[in-house]
Amino acid sequence: MTSVASQPAGRSKARRASAQEGGAVRSGMTLAAYLFLSPYLALFIAFMLLPTLAAVGISFMRWDILGTPEFIGLDNYRQIFADPLFLTAIKNTFYFVFLTAIPMVVLGLALAMLLDQKLKGTAFVRTVVFLPYVVMVSTVGILWGWLFDKGTGLVNYYLTAIGIEPIAWLKDPHWSMPALAITTVWWTVNTNMIIFLAALQDISEELHDAATLDGAGPWQRFVYITLPLLRPAMALVTALTIINGWRVFGQAYVMTQGGPEASTFVIVQYIYLTAFQNFEMGPAAAAGVVLLLITLVFSLAQMKLMKAI
Amino acid sequence: MQDQRSNRAGKSLSGRALAYTLMVVVTALWGAPILWMLVTSIKPESEIYAYPPAWIPDAPTLEAYGALFQRFPMLTWFRNSAVVGILTTVLTLAVDALAAYPLARMQFPGRRVIMGVIFATFLLPYELLFVPLFLGLNSYGLVDSIFSLTVPASANAFGVFLLTQFFQAVPRELEDAAIMDGCGRFGFFWRILLPLTKPGLATVAIFTFVASWNNFFWPLIATNSDETRTLPVGLATLVGGAGMSMKQSVLMASAVVATLPTAIFFLALQRHFVRGIAATGIKG
Repeated sequence: MTSVASQPAGRSKARRASAQEGGAVRSGMTLAAYLFLSPYLALFIAFMLLPTLAAVGISFMRWDILGTPEFIGLDNYRQIFADPLFLTAIKNTFYFVFLTAIPMVVLGLALAMLLDQKLKGTAFVRTVVFLPYVVMVSTVGILWGWLFDKGTGLVNYYLTAIGIEPIAWLKDPHWSMPALAITTVWWTVNTNMIIFLAALQDISEELHDAATLDGAGPWQRFVYITLPLLRPAMALVTALTIINGWRVFGQAYVMTQGGPEASTFVIVQYIYLTAFQNFEMGPAAAAGVVLLLITLVFSLAQMKLMKAI
Repeated sequence: MQDQRSNRAGKSLSGRALAYTLMVVVTALWGAPILWMLVTSIKPESEIYAYPPAWIPDAPTLEAYGALFQRFPMLTWFRNSAVVGILTTVLTLAVDALAAYPLARMQFPGRRVIMGVIFATFLLPYELLFVPLFLGLNSYGLVDSIFSLTVPASANAFGVFLLTQFFQAVPRELEDAAIMDGCGRFGFFWRILLPLTKPGLATVAIFTFVASWNNFFWPLIATNSDETRTLPVGLATLVGGAGMSMKQSVLMASAVVATLPTAIFFLALQRHFVRGIAATGIKG
């Protein structure tokens, strides 16, 4: 594109890179590039890259706050997988992912399609659905903790009004996780809605108009135009929903503290408990690595699945 | 659910009626909890648990807010959250913009690897990092400090990713002309690139601030005194344990106070939020 003329005058090392895009001096550019990058890279290495590697390292060590670290191979992994509480945490977290994934994707898409229409008021409804995004998790927990209260909560009040017996929600091990799932969908489905909305707005009107002229009904247009064109958005939304589902913590911590009967005790709370209340860093790091592996497996499986469809 | 699609073009009357019905239902389901929070926070004690629940208080009062600020170090938590949010935002914006410039606009060895590694962290469950981060900061005596709440958070890749996209959209010719005029790379970056990409910078700033404001797990670990505790961690202490007997009006007042800054931010700058999510799909 650009010519040699764009090079700063007086730099003689130019010959080597004359054909390079941008046309600038290559080594000079490399130096400049790394100068610009260095502050971020320093933070990234110190607080992202090294901690990731350290987490894996610590998972193979006995590491208490005091005392010298010691390599113990897979002992931490053996310990956590022999711990019924960790297995419960995996089971509970999986249940949470199962309960949230489909509503988060389907409802996200349905809301996007509803609010993508050219009707008065859609902007207002979008704002209302989006508002929970800026509410912090403690507040979400405090608010829904009361809404789900058996005696004085609004949820049971309106359920009773349509003839449903009051449910103990957060005090009943069968209902505690569904209650957390409902709270989470209310809180975060807006992210998925926005991604779908952006994708829907990229689909050209003409495509729909042409299909309509050819006699395609709304259902056919949805299946043959909208859905295929939404595939990248669908893949992103599904991956994010599942990864974030496995990372659930704050809602459970504030609303139920993992209870009742450990029915909402999740993997991240296991990490928190093990590391920062029992001060067993090795097993906590191992649980973190297990969490990483689970999310990786799910992301890969989901990518494969999206390709196959 | 399917029928709503039929009026994408908004033509048939029944389709429109259905769409509006659904919109009312959606508004009620998503708006009611927020409204209930506001309404309850201004109810006097006698009305909080009234049956049936009243959406309009008979005698609105601010006593719950008074009790909240009197009994808890709300102002300290609030100040901590504000300081942490602003520092994190400024630091993140500075390092992210500097890093995004070469990634977006320069060819250099290692570029692809660096981008690959940085953006791979999108898939990383950050909870994995907290044990080593805590141990590392603890060994330098930095736990329970503003440092531990601000600097590590600036390693987040979201801003680099978003700004790289914004910077790529600026025409090459501008850069060539600027450098030919003796502007230099930094001159171009500072005087031309940044002013041209203000919407992108605003988006990153807003997201970083809101993420910091709402951040819960790391501050829960990294703080152990009210001197550094941020709002989300402080508020979590209101429920459970000693907070069990807390009046709902006080709890809801805390919810209103915590939500107000980000809600105002959001209502004023809604399009930046939407752009940020649409571009990356990253939540906080």
